[in-house]
Amino acid sequence: MQDLVSVVTLGSVYLLFALGMSLTWGTIDILNFAHGSIFMFSAFSASLVLERTTLGLLPVLLIGAAVGALMSLLIQVVAFEQIIKRARDRRTAEMQILIGGIGVAIIPLAIAQHHTQSNPFGLSASSFSVESISLGGLRITNVAALTVLLAVALWAAAALWLRRSRQGLALRSIGVDAQTAALMGVDRRRLALVTMAVAGATAGLSGILFTFSLGAMTPESGDTLLVKAFACIVLGGVGSMLGVAFGAYALAAAEVLILTQTNGSWVEAVSFGLIFLVLLVRPAGVFGRKEVRRT
Amino acid sequence: MSGFLSTNLVLVQSTLSGLLLALSIQVPLRMGVFSFAGAGSYGIGAYGAGILVLRYEYGALPAIALTVVATAVVGLLLGLLINRLAGLYLAMATVAFDLIISVVAINGGELTGASTGLYGIIADFTTAQMVVLTLVALALVALSERGRLGRRVETVREDPELAASMGISVRRYRLAAFVASGALGGLAGAMNVLVRSTVGPLDIGFGLIVLALTMIVVGGSRSWVGAVIGAVIFTWLPDLLAVIGEWQELVYGVIVAVAAIYLPRGIHGVLADGVRWVQRKRRDRRAAAAGVVEEDEDGGVRPPEGEDLTGEGGVPLPARAGPDPAHALDQLAARPQAGS
Repeated sequence: MQDLVSVVTLGSVYLLFALGMSLTWGTIDILNFAHGSIFMFSAFSASLVLERTTLGLLPVLLIGAAVGALMSLLIQVVAFEQIIKRARDRRTAEMQILIGGIGVAIIPLAIAQHHTQSNPFGLSASSFSVESISLGGLRITNVAALTVLLAVALWAAAALWLRRSRQGLALRSIGVDAQTAALMGVDRRRLALVTMAVAGATAGLSGILFTFSLGAMTPESGDTLLVKAFACIVLGGVGSMLGVAFGAYALAAAEVLILTQTNGSWVEAVSFGLIFLVLLVRPAGVFGRKEVRRT
Repeated sequence: MSGFLSTNLVLVQSTLSGLLLALSIQVPLRMGVFSFAGAGSYGIGAYGAGILVLRYEYGALPAIALTVVATAVVGLLLGLLINRLAGLYLAMATVAFDLIISVVAINGGELTGASTGLYGIIADFTTAQMVVLTLVALALVALSERGRLGRRVETVREDPELAASMGISVRRYRLAAFVASGALGGLAGAMNVLVRSTVGPLDIGFGLIVLALTMIVVGGSRSWVGAVIGAVIFTWLPDLLAVIGEWQELVYGVIVAVAAIYLPRGIHGVLADGVRWVQRKRRDRRAAAAGVVEEDEDGGVRPPEGEDLTGEGGVPLPARAGPDPAHALDQLAARPQAGS
């Protein structure tokens, strides 16, 4: 049973991180490779603030979300919009966005690495302390519980927003056919900015929670999570909100299973192997409806 | 020259292996295959050559030959497996392939030296041999950019349907891209481990993909010249940036980001555009001179700038008469600048 708690906690970390990536990729066609960098840098910024003053949990979370949203907006305006403006078609645009994201991601990484000398940094200066609580015989830390709650709540909110609201409908229509959507009066640029800001904010939140629950983060933490988030999204199916939740918890379950059955050094291979397997067997993912474009 | 070589030997060697690594990702990219498998092949090559020399006492050249064949075969198998994927999916599947290689290296126990890796790989491998092997590989890649083969490769990238309709087997070209990528990556890894004498799991991780990609993005993705420019810049830049000192990582990041956003075809693309601009100016001047003569004959009015490539509104200009597929492809490649 305690393993189940680990699965849910780990899965929620993945879900919170992958949520933003899935949102931007599934709707405005941006696979943001700087997402990991945003995740890391939000937590890093919070740790810098905590060097000056002592803050509780809520302000720290707000700082993380704000920094994440701002970075995401900045990257969208400075990098991705410029790339889309210059690209000749959708295929070149998505490749240039991938490469541009990798390029942009180096900058916050370099700043954090320079400042921390590549050492791990933490948020221990916060007045919030991690405590273990027990619920019906199961042990869970308060951060883990908060992560689970936030991940599920934000995921549900995003799914409802996409499904029920007018803006969500507009956003989904961009994902299906951007040109027709524009003809129907959808302001693509504004919606893209909103989506990127939301994605960045969730990345920031997950960065803060991740650092609290592990105690520390290294500047390079974002890269591994990035590939794992990709695995979650592909596993569930690009553009499917149900899919990304399924992917996150399935990946967590597989990893916990490997971790408890073996000595653990193969855990990293699970997500990479899953990407391979899913792409080969069911390229549209478990819940995906959109066919994978092929040439 | 020899003094320069001996003081900068390490940098020269890094440039050569970096160049081959960049080519291993650039060659598939040039065929429209967005594959990062070259970095994984680099890992296989490095560990393969290291193990052959260290554990089985192979000579340097046989070890290199064997690993290059092995990585080419792995490339082919990978290509057969994931050939039907395209775009981002293909890219991420190959990233997964690269990362699996590094996980295997960590879990290889005695054979791969686990997380410490292999060290003390001493082989009879000279820098001269390295230069020769690199030049041979570079020449082969350069040949694939010229003449009929070059035009076919370009068509496979720009318009697979058109290529297929013209009798070019797109599938075969794409598979060839995987094989070439495997061989180039394997060669780069094998040679690097033999001159460096060590390799560890950290050398073949995500950072390797980023390095290879930055070389191509900054140098240029359409020609081997771009890979050379990128390899030289990113091997020598850290030394030059030592002046800036502690902020060199940041400068490095800014360079890559700016190149990725504003120079999608890299420094080589900018240079090539410059050359083409000069040529066009010269041709225009010649066409203008020819235009004056024609105007005298038929008395028609012609736009002063000889921009009408289609030859609309009169006789096609003599300098551009006759079909020139290479020229047409140039136009195709030059279009993104002109387009929205």
